[in-house]
Amino acid sequence: MADLRTNIAGIESPNPFWLASAPPTNSGYQVQRAFEAGWGGAVWKTLGDPILNVSSRFAAVSFNGQKVAGFNNIELITDRPLEVNLKEIYETKKKFPNHAIIASLMVEPKQEKWHEIVKRVEEAGVDGLELNFGCPHGMAERGMGAASGQVPSLVEQQTYWVKEVAKTPVIVKLTPNITDITATAEAAVNGGADAISMINTINSLAGVDIDTWNTIPHVGGKGAHGGYCGPAVKPIALNMVGECARHSHINVPISGIGGISNWQDAVEFMLMGSTSVQVCTAAMHHGFRIVEDMIDGLSNYLDGKGIQSVTEIIGKSVPKYSDWGDLDLNYKIVARINNDVCINCNKCHIACEDTSHQCIDMYTEADGTKGLRVREEDCVGCNLCSIVCPEDGAIDMVEMTHELPPMTWNERQAALGKVACEVDIAAK
Amino acid sequence: MSEYTQYLQEKDKIDVLLNQGYSIKSITENLSGAFVEFERITGSTITSETLHILTADARKYFSVKLIHQ
Repeated sequence: MADLRTNIAGIESPNPFWLASAPPTNSGYQVQRAFEAGWGGAVWKTLGDPILNVSSRFAAVSFNGQKVAGFNNIELITDRPLEVNLKEIYETKKKFPNHAIIASLMVEPKQEKWHEIVKRVEEAGVDGLELNFGCPHGMAERGMGAASGQVPSLVEQQTYWVKEVAKTPVIVKLTPNITDITATAEAAVNGGADAISMINTINSLAGVDIDTWNTIPHVGGKGAHGGYCGPAVKPIALNMVGECARHSHINVPISGIGGISNWQDAVEFMLMGSTSVQVCTAAMHHGFRIVEDMIDGLSNYLDGKGIQSVTEIIGKSVPKYSDWGDLDLNYKIVARINNDVCINCNKCHIACEDTSHQCIDMYTEADGTKGLRVREEDCVGCNLCSIVCPEDGAIDMVEMTHELPPMTWNERQAALGKVACEVDIAAK
Repeated sequence: MSEYTQYLQEKDKIDVLLNQGYSIKSITENLSGAFVEFERITGSTITSETLHILTADARKYFSVKLIHQ
């Protein structure tokens, strides 16, 4: 059986599955239940000056009957006094010494505030700290969370203040509500971060009730933007993890967060550079015991590939993630319809005809049999037909032999630059 | 005419010039596509031809030819 033990910046855990800082990690009772279920670590719900919450805090987005495609919350950080949380952290760590407990922290952007909370929290025996520079709602209106995390200089300065006194590894949790997350990731590294985690939630409004005209959720008829997470945000998170993992100046481990719902998602994040993964929405949807399937699935996957340790897959897809300008313009795939499997629903034809490149023809054989055929020479390999096809195996995307040697946009432009070349000149 | 057929026609025009000893001298790209100027030097005689390339695949094609010329 593969070794699932993980070490991120010195924080060890029996497996890479951590609960993210959120409602599931609000108390010792919950975290201990999570560890009993099998979670390798937990990032305690953010500690700071105890806040006041509102009633009606969560909302979810369904898609075609599938519940919790996305999840929105307007809950703030812990509403419990620091002493209460620290006592429970101490007790939990004592009961589960081999599991990772990381304290998420958020205070005003003042040196003395960071120094005070870091010293007090570390005394409780945490394995590491996670600085919450990501929560987009409520706390951000007070200059904390995402308001700090969107300004690279504030990220760097506050990380530096924490590192002045921290004795345990410091993870900086980044907000996705920014154009280029590598800017704040690099700032965290410059401030001395031992690791970074991403993504926190995305600014969102889950919906509007078209009968009452209230926002969803609403608090007595009034709403405010929340933070969006769950399966819908996974592609956004995965890209941000990949962008940081391949950035030459961001050379610290990454804890991946964002819509991770099963072991396959976890593997994707690890291949794209995550050393550990953090989960929230899936646990809120299905309970702590989903980690059993995650552990089994990951273990079987590694065994099936003959991989001894989960650490061997970290970052393996990063070299395959590049800039558009480095992609081969002459690589070509085309759609091929398997008429034995095709149910003749014509969705591929409609999609191609209406919204893509008009290369799927409908035909009728002499015996009246109807079918669909791709004109491969006109197919651009966009994948749309196979995406909309409801029948597995009915459409294959087939790699074609190179007619021309590989050539990237960057190579092309370099070649054009060597001859007399004009761009954006009016037509002759 | 399908875009593929149009590409083949443009590719043929490029190949004809290259086979006649022309090489790509300059390229002007703008909103109308690409204007590729070919030049052939025979002794002291310089002749040039310009192709207006419209299709994306033909723009890839002359680029490959340029890289390898």
